[in-house]
Amino acid sequence: MDADLVIRAQRGDKDAYAVLAAGIADRLLAVARRILRDFDLAEDATQQALLTAWRDLPQLRDPDRFESWLHRLLVRACYAESRRERRWAPSLRLLPVGEQSADDDLSSVVDRDEIERGFRRLSIDHRAVVVLHHYLDLPLDRVAELLGIPVGTAHSRLHHAMRGLRAALEADARPPTREAAK
Amino acid sequence: MSTDRDTTRIVRSWLRTDEHESADRVLDNVLALLDATPQRRPRWPARRIADMNSVAKLATAVAAVFVAAVVGLTLLPGRGGPGDDPTPSPSPSPSLSPSPSSTPALLPSGSSIVFPPAGALAPGRHTLTEDGIVFSLQVPDGWYSSGLSCPLCASDAGWLQKGPIDGTDPGYAWLPFWSVKGVAADPCGQTPAPAATSAAELATGVAALPGTDVVTAPEDVTVGGRPAKHVVMKVREDIDCAAGSYYMWYDGNGDFRWATALGQTNEVWIVDVDGASLWIEGETYKGSTPALEQEIQAIIDSIQFN
Repeated sequence: MDADLVIRAQRGDKDAYAVLAAGIADRLLAVARRILRDFDLAEDATQQALLTAWRDLPQLRDPDRFESWLHRLLVRACYAESRRERRWAPSLRLLPVGEQSADDDLSSVVDRDEIERGFRRLSIDHRAVVVLHHYLDLPLDRVAELLGIPVGTAHSRLHHAMRGLRAALEADARPPTREAAK
Repeated sequence: MSTDRDTTRIVRSWLRTDEHESADRVLDNVLALLDATPQRRPRWPARRIADMNSVAKLATAVAAVFVAAVVGLTLLPGRGGPGDDPTPSPSPSPSLSPSPSSTPALLPSGSSIVFPPAGALAPGRHTLTEDGIVFSLQVPDGWYSSGLSCPLCASDAGWLQKGPIDGTDPGYAWLPFWSVKGVAADPCGQTPAPAATSAAELATGVAALPGTDVVTAPEDVTVGGRPAKHVVMKVREDIDCAAGSYYMWYDGNGDFRWATALGQTNEVWIVDVDGASLWIEGETYKGSTPALEQEIQAIIDSIQFN
């Protein structure tokens, strides 16, 4: 991330911010989508995070921390969107197995269904740790810093989340779920 | 039965499916909304004395050494300072030096910072702290608190504001509380003047800031029963730099406070609280009404030190 661009954007340079945002928006959307498991909510969270970043950018002390700070704003926006989701769209819908592409082998389809369901059962706190650690490949101490939690809490959340996901995968011993309740 | 390693592998693989999401639509929306999203400036940018050019750093260092030397000479036993004049200074100006003894208006060491949480303030009396000074004030309807939950911000000092957003329209106002140490010698050049040694010097410095017009020259007033300096100035609209590059004064960390908008008016009170200094600003914007200024004055008049 170009610190000069961040400094220019801090001083109100919209063109500089456009370059910064264009360089990171896809990644933010990908993270939000994985945390929220909903594309529309993820778009809203990403938009909110980028607008909040623009609004509060002059308050960022260290331009080199722009990316970490933006990820923190994104996770907060995901929290807000998840609350909105609970209020307006408490749905859980899984794709029927038969709608998967022909390239998928059955076991991976079942794994995806089960893991999707298991992941949706996790709180946003736990989802965020899983995505930041296993998708962005951030070490847990950075995850903890980014989320503003102790490192031990990050470890605990990851352990709890992975245990839940493992339990979901083990559920494939039972008859596969073809459609979950709305 | 899955092992932990299997689970991790499956989860990582699952997270990496559909890698090619495009945020173009989000980006278009964001860029279209930037004009309608004013930046919220802390007025203390991420620029410290340490980032200044070497001349500015040298000037500040020399000033600090000079101030320390003068203070040291003054405090030496049997020495009355330059000229050995034993007569106490006749200046009524509040001192910027911290009091050696704690008083009820100052927080004991280790006390927590108190500030209303971010959001709308209920009309009534609220207690705040700034740099160890504890005080309360009466807030009318329509005021909001910044809170103090901004760990990455340049300053953890809080402020009150009139209106729900930190805007610069005529109906908005900004009321921060700081500990200011000096003013800029060249605001557009971001060059600091040496740290002030008294509230009077600070107030004089505010009134003399290049690029401003004095509305009210420095005067002696009282705030909450404590002696204070009061000065009002207006940032001219024809200065040679943008408001965000117009650096006015700095705190003990070397963080400069910049202007919010050209044409803004800054009313400053520098209050002597048992030897410690509390800096209060009332910032209003072009087109502001006398009623808003009276509202700010009423808040200042309501201040009580515990």
